[in-house]
Amino acid sequence: MNIDYSGKVALVTGAGRGLGFAIASALHRAGASVAINDRKPETVAAAIGKLGGGNRLTAAPADLARPGGPEAAVEAAVKRFDGLDLLVNNAAVNIERPIEETDDAHWDLHLDVVLRASFFTMKAALPWLKQAKGNVVNIASELGLHAIPNNVAYVTAKHGLVTMTRALALELARDGVRVNAVCPGPMDTELMRDLANASPDPAAYYRALEASGPLGRLAKPQEIADFVLCIGSPAASFMTGAALAIDGGLSAGRL
Amino acid sequence: MEFSGKRVLVTGSTRGLGLAAARLFLERGAEVVVHGHDGNGVARAVTGLARDFPGRVEGYPADLCDRAACRRLAQQAGAVDALVNNAGVFLEGAIAEVDQALWQRSFAINVTAPWILARALLEPLRERRGVIVNISSDAGLLGYPGISTYCATKGAIIGLTRALAIELAPEVRAICVCPGPIETDMMRQSLEATPDPAAAREVWEAYPALRRVAQPEEVAEAILFAASPRSSFMTGNLIVADGGVTMGKRV
Repeated sequence: MNIDYSGKVALVTGAGRGLGFAIASALHRAGASVAINDRKPETVAAAIGKLGGGNRLTAAPADLARPGGPEAAVEAAVKRFDGLDLLVNNAAVNIERPIEETDDAHWDLHLDVVLRASFFTMKAALPWLKQAKGNVVNIASELGLHAIPNNVAYVTAKHGLVTMTRALALELARDGVRVNAVCPGPMDTELMRDLANASPDPAAYYRALEASGPLGRLAKPQEIADFVLCIGSPAASFMTGAALAIDGGLSAGRL
Repeated sequence: MEFSGKRVLVTGSTRGLGLAAARLFLERGAEVVVHGHDGNGVARAVTGLARDFPGRVEGYPADLCDRAACRRLAQQAGAVDALVNNAGVFLEGAIAEVDQALWQRSFAINVTAPWILARALLEPLRERRGVIVNISSDAGLLGYPGISTYCATKGAIIGLTRALAIELAPEVRAICVCPGPIETDMMRQSLEATPDPAAAREVWEAYPALRRVAQPEEVAEAILFAASPRSSFMTGNLIVADGGVTMGKRV
């Protein structure tokens, strides 16, 4: 991908690992100044270390589901880089559990991290995004477009993120701020390995996941990250309010 | 009658769409559990309905923001054949004006309460091969400026419906009804909050392709269909009863 992000500032939430790290890494390679958010400062520091450090990276650790978390993350970014062009709401949790085993804490965790944190991070970032005529990419999921069993809280939250994206895209269109959602299918990330490891037979879980998609494999985080860079750039300047599936064909139908 | 011997809980049924649905369920033979947030409203609705349908109506107040109260309501409702998650709030606000309280209240009532009630009523719904009917909105499918929180809740409940449907099949079905604008107190309150309610009303009425807002009974029919065996091959599906709002826009 040859998109130039020189002089642009991005905040990527949940960038300590997995897709978030891949997006932050791709943005950094493309020349952007990147604020790395994750829940724990040590995770953020490790990610920055892996990216080689330097003056185009800054730490923006915060628990975005906590009061003051979104504001702290945004402030860390804009204080260091004096503005914000791109917010990538990527932070999420995904713990599979049958309905009977789902308690209030599990429900709240998913709705808070996936949905409420995204909304309030965007709210905190809004003054700078307006100033920069910037944009937001919300990382939803193919599970924002359809459902699977044993994932009720996640499916509910990701569906909400898709409609929230549409509403905010319309609300902010005249301010020149674009808002889009990306709906990835299963990726080969740490989160997916956690899900596999939490299942009775991790190898079988992984094989089944690979086999479930038309392309017969999981996405590499890099494949999603490239797409996010495209949407966040002027290449997508006429795109807003879209919820784009990048899911290896999963949401196109059933095999 | 279609619903004879069936017991139905309709949340938010002291007025508006919920009350119209409650009345229709009663007309078609059901026992109905009325719910509202305040005791007086519940008493008024139950008294009114019991005049026409004696012995088949009871009602309980519950603040759906309070999870313990939701669970108590589920217990009071008991062995239901259908749960209609109709109660909802329409809290407006551009993103810059939305605070944690508005967000939390919107989600508590529009999304979390339906989930808690469904979860708490799982056993009777399974035993009785029951139906969960959730109420979303055209705003669960389309975005609107100034109500992003509401849109998020209504998109979320579509997800909730699909997730419940796929996991609880084949014993329990779940269907989501998506109404457009309806002539209810909720709409009147929203209109009265505008500087020129009459003009705002015209905008609402011009909005659906059918060039009017729905009467509650028209959408209640879709709820009844969803809860009845007539929709027996539907689950995880949407019934969009919006006068044509979501199909497109006249230019």
